[in-house]
Amino acid sequence: MRTKSEKRFDWILTILLLVLSVFFLFPVVWMLANSFKTDAAITADMNTIAAFIPPVPGGGFFENYISILTNTNFLRYMLNTLFYAAILILCGIVVNGLAGYALAKIRFPFRERWVLLILLLQIVPMETIITIHFLMIAKVGLLNTVIGYILPMIVNPFNIFLFRQVFISLPDDVYEAAQLDFCSPVKYFFTMVLPMSKTVVATVSVFTFLNVWNDYLWPSLVFTSSDLLTAQIGLNSITSNDNTTMGQTLAVITMVTIPVIIIYSLFSKQIVEGVTSTGSKEG
Amino acid sequence: MNRKKSNSLLGMTFFGPALVLLTIFLFVPMVLTLLFSFTDYFALNPDLTRFVGLGNYFKIFEDELFVQSFFNTVGFVLIILPCQGLGALGLALLINKVTHCKKYFKVAFFVPVVMSLAVVSTLWMQIYSPEGILNTLLKNVGITPQPFIHSAKQALPSIAVMSVWQGVGYQMIIFLGGLQAINPGLYEAAEMDHASAWQRFKDITLPELKPLCVFVFITVTIGAFRMIVQPMVMTGGGPSHSTYTMVYNIYETGTVNWEIGLASTMAIVFAAFVMILTIIQTILTRDKEEKHADKK
Repeated sequence: MRTKSEKRFDWILTILLLVLSVFFLFPVVWMLANSFKTDAAITADMNTIAAFIPPVPGGGFFENYISILTNTNFLRYMLNTLFYAAILILCGIVVNGLAGYALAKIRFPFRERWVLLILLLQIVPMETIITIHFLMIAKVGLLNTVIGYILPMIVNPFNIFLFRQVFISLPDDVYEAAQLDFCSPVKYFFTMVLPMSKTVVATVSVFTFLNVWNDYLWPSLVFTSSDLLTAQIGLNSITSNDNTTMGQTLAVITMVTIPVIIIYSLFSKQIVEGVTSTGSKEG
Repeated sequence: MNRKKSNSLLGMTFFGPALVLLTIFLFVPMVLTLLFSFTDYFALNPDLTRFVGLGNYFKIFEDELFVQSFFNTVGFVLIILPCQGLGALGLALLINKVTHCKKYFKVAFFVPVVMSLAVVSTLWMQIYSPEGILNTLLKNVGITPQPFIHSAKQALPSIAVMSVWQGVGYQMIIFLGGLQAINPGLYEAAEMDHASAWQRFKDITLPELKPLCVFVFITVTIGAFRMIVQPMVMTGGGPSHSTYTMVYNIYETGTVNWEIGLASTMAIVFAAFVMILTIIQTILTRDKEEKHADKK
C-alpha cells in the first residue's frame, strides 16, 4: 500500500519530468513543425506558440520536401549511403566473423596473442590514423572512389572481438560432426555458425549501419565528387548553399534522420541491450 | 601432427583476410604515424623529408594554435563531463523512480541520440542564429539576444551545451540498465532497517553504481576529446579559433596543409591522452571485478 505522501511525490516527479522533457524536446518539435513552412511563415510564427505547431495540411504542405527531392541530388546521397552500408555490412560480417570464429574455435599458432592484440587495438582512436588513411588512399589513386571509401572501414577489432565472444560458447561437437561429414569448414561457417548466431549478426549489422549512416569525417575526406557523397556530407553541401531556404534545411535534416528512426524502432531491443551491456560488461 | 598442420592452415584461412586488412589499415598507419612524427614530411614535396628527432614535439607545444586547440579541447571536456555525466545520472534516477509515462520519458530524452552530429549541428545553427528561435524565447523572458556561436566567448560553451543535449540520453540508458541490475533485496533489507530515502541512495544506489559511473565518465571524456564534427559544420573552428579542437587541428594540418610530419606528431600526442584515459578506465573497472570476485 502506497501512502498518500508517496503518491503526491510521484505526481510531482511526473510533472517535473514532463516540464523537463518539453524543454528538452523543443528543438526537435521546432524542426518538425517548421520543415513544412515557407521562410516567411517561419519568421512570422517565431514569436508565437505557432512556432511549435505545423501548418494546417493542404496545398504545398510538403513543398520543402518535394523541392529538395526534385531539385537536389539528395535522394541519390541517401541511396549511396544505403548502398555503402549494405556492402560494409556484408564484408564486415564475412571478414570479422571469420576472424572471430578462428580466434574462438580453431587452434592455430599464436591464437591467444592475436586475441590480446585485437583487444589492444580497440583503444587506438581512429582520428590518430585518419591522415595516413587519407594519404594512402590518395597515393594509390582511390580518392573519390567507392573502393577507397570502403576498404579501410571493413575490418573492425571491436566486431571481431564481439563475434569471438559469441562463437566461443557454441558447442564443439557440431563442428566435429560437420568435419566427419566432409563438410568444408568455410561452408560450415556460413550454413551453420552464422545462422546459429543470429543475434550477434543482427547487432553487428545494426551498429555498422548506424556507423556508416552517421559518419562524417572519413566520407568528407574521400569524396569530393558530388555523385558519390553520403547523406551526411550531402546534407552539408545542400544546406550550406545560399539558395536553400531555412524550411528546406529543416526538411533535409528531418529526412536524413528518418532511416535511423526506422532502424531504432525495429531494433530498439538489440540496441538498448547492446548499449547497456557495454556498460555492465566493462563497468 | 597432420591435424595440427591443417588447423594452422585453416586458422590462417579464416583469420587471414582480417589480418591483411588490419595490417594495411591499422598496423602500418600506426607505425607510419609514429615514424612521420619524427620527420618534417610535407606531402607536396616528399623528397625534401628530413629526420628531425623530437623537433616536432617541441615545435607543436610552442605553436600557439596547437596550444589553443589543446586548451579548447580541455575546456570542452570540462563543460561536457559534469553536465553530461551528472545529467544522465540524474535523469536515470528520476525516470527509474517515476511510475507514470515511464516509457515516454525514456524515449523523449533518447530522441537526440538518434540524430547524427551533422544533423544536430545544422539544426542548432538555426536555433542559435541571432534572430533564431532561442533568442526569441529568451527575449520573451527578458534576456537580451545572445550571439552564441558567433562570438569567440560563447561559441565553445554553446557547442558544448548542444553536445550534452545530443548525447545525454545515451548515458541515461546505460545508467537505467545499471539501476535495474541492482539487487532489490538490498532495498528490502534497508526498508526493514527503516533507512531513509537518502540513506538508501547513499549506501546502496551510489556504491552499486560507482563502477558504472567510472565507465560512463571516462567514456564521455574520451568522446569529448575526439570532438570535431560540430565545429566543422557550425563554426569552421572560429570565431578566432575559439572552437578549434585538437582533432580539427590534426585534420587540417594533415589533409589541408599536407604537413604530414606535424599532423602525425599532434596525432601521437592526442592518441597518448586517449590511451592513458582508456588504461585508467580499464584499471579502475577491473578493480571492481576483482573485488566482486573476493566477495563471492
